[in-house]
Amino acid sequence: MATDTLSATLFALSDVTRRALLARLASGDASVTELAEPYEMSLAAVSKHLKVLETAGLISRGKEAQWRPCHLEAKPLEAVLEWVENYRVFWERNLESLNDYLKKMPRKHNVRKPATRAERKPR
Amino acid sequence: MSTKTDVPSAEPAILMSRIYDAPREVVWKAMTEAKHVARWWGGAGFSNPVCEMDVRPGGLWRHVMRFPDGHELHMNFVFLEADKPQRLVWQDADHDTREPGRPSPVITVTLEDLGDRTQYRMVARFRSLAERDAALGFGFVKPIEGSNDRLAEYLKKL
Repeated sequence: MATDTLSATLFALSDVTRRALLARLASGDASVTELAEPYEMSLAAVSKHLKVLETAGLISRGKEAQWRPCHLEAKPLEAVLEWVENYRVFWERNLESLNDYLKKMPRKHNVRKPATRAERKPR
Repeated sequence: MSTKTDVPSAEPAILMSRIYDAPREVVWKAMTEAKHVARWWGGAGFSNPVCEMDVRPGGLWRHVMRFPDGHELHMNFVFLEADKPQRLVWQDADHDTREPGRPSPVITVTLEDLGDRTQYRMVARFRSLAERDAALGFGFVKPIEGSNDRLAEYLKKL
């Protein structure tokens, strides 16, 4: 697993403005000027955020000298998705496994009382 | 009874909970004694050739987990809290040397005494809401091969 890429992706995603920029790009390519429009932020500041996103491979820039539209690249996000999905699956499997083990675990006092109350659902 | 997974909106965490059909002391034992942990950690098909636990605040948990396909994962954790038999907290021991942004959640397990049974709660708390958002936002959306429609939808909601 390429953890370096994953780190870069997560770092890039750790800023609310950068996530907003990605969200905007999810609905289509846009120029820096267009991306900066909703923000009270200089073009330079927006460019800086875009640079971080570009370094992480989350966006690419068009080649046209003037316009250079930004384009969302979904590939690195798939790595994040995969990592988290693995994490969740690991824990669910882990808790299931603990359940199985508890059933066969050697105990000193393995005498079980019959269940007398209905299953409580604690909050 | 299966695992319930929760995603609180105001808290940077992933929550899992389930009820175990065993008294709290037994569940605590199963998750804090290396000889027991080595028998279940990872799940069916996994084995744990190394499991050494020093269950106290600052104590280390050295662990090697072997996948069904034979490859091994070395895990080094440090316990932050160990309040027998109700609360165990740990995280990656290499946490501070990690690159910024690397997800390294703090795991907190609490056990509630229900008599013959035990309410088990696991919280994986990420270091920032952003990490959690990255985690959950994507984690519960199944990836669609060759399409990022769902992803686009999610990104709009961020």
